[in-house]
Amino acid sequence: MIATRSAPVFVTTFAVAYSILYVSAVEYNWALFTYHPAAEEFHFLVKPAKDAPAMYWYGWMATAGLAAFFIAATASWLSGGAAGRPWSGWSWVVPLTTMGVFCYLLSGFFIR
Amino acid sequence: MIVALLILHGLLAVALLGAITHQAISVWLPGPKAPSSFVGRMRAVLPMSYVNAVVALYLVTAILGGILYPSYRLSVRIVLEQLNLYMANGSFELKEHFVAVGLGMLPAYWYFWHQPLAQDRTRTRAVLTSILAFIVWWSFIVGHVLNNIRGFE
Repeated sequence: MIATRSAPVFVTTFAVAYSILYVSAVEYNWALFTYHPAAEEFHFLVKPAKDAPAMYWYGWMATAGLAAFFIAATASWLSGGAAGRPWSGWSWVVPLTTMGVFCYLLSGFFIR
Repeated sequence: MIVALLILHGLLAVALLGAITHQAISVWLPGPKAPSSFVGRMRAVLPMSYVNAVVALYLVTAILGGILYPSYRLSVRIVLEQLNLYMANGSFELKEHFVAVGLGMLPAYWYFWHQPLAQDRTRTRAVLTSILAFIVWWSFIVGHVLNNIRGFE
């Protein structure tokens, strides 16, 4: 019963937290790990390559995914048994806003 | 190997495109119960029946894209930068971030479609489906155009 009540809290909180954390991870480069494709090496946290590109995308998703999971699990645990539940629309409002933020952040590619 | 994976990535993307588009159409333009036309049958599909397929195809296609990404980073993006193809480069940047945001929405998408179809979540289901459909269409078109620019070696 508690799990049934907690599930909407978990999925909504996860969608909200993941979106906010992902855009923050991209903007402030909070990558959990870095991949150097030329050398085919993984490195913990952010490690720029000397003379080849470094890839942070996987690390940004890992940071956002892990942190959002713990936030959502905590939120659903705290709300277990509570009658109230978050508005389900937050699960699309915040991700949609995040997509708009990315359009703004990357507008330099399109306006030259 | 990379070419084979790229083709598989494209084929899975086509399947995902078909599933999410059918679902989005049936959500926004539900058809008659006894459709007689092609369009009517397309609108009359059961949107719920696509949910597991969409989640599975989205995950597999994104994972394959992630496996292919280093090749893109090393042999395509550098060329785009040298050719000053800013819009193509930026479109791919948007694609990677949109796909990542879509991954975070998948649990909510799956959950709200598997709940009894309560009226208060109708809009949530419809909008989540539409956003995922937009992400899939954007990713498919950008990937296709970039492949046309660079092609196979």
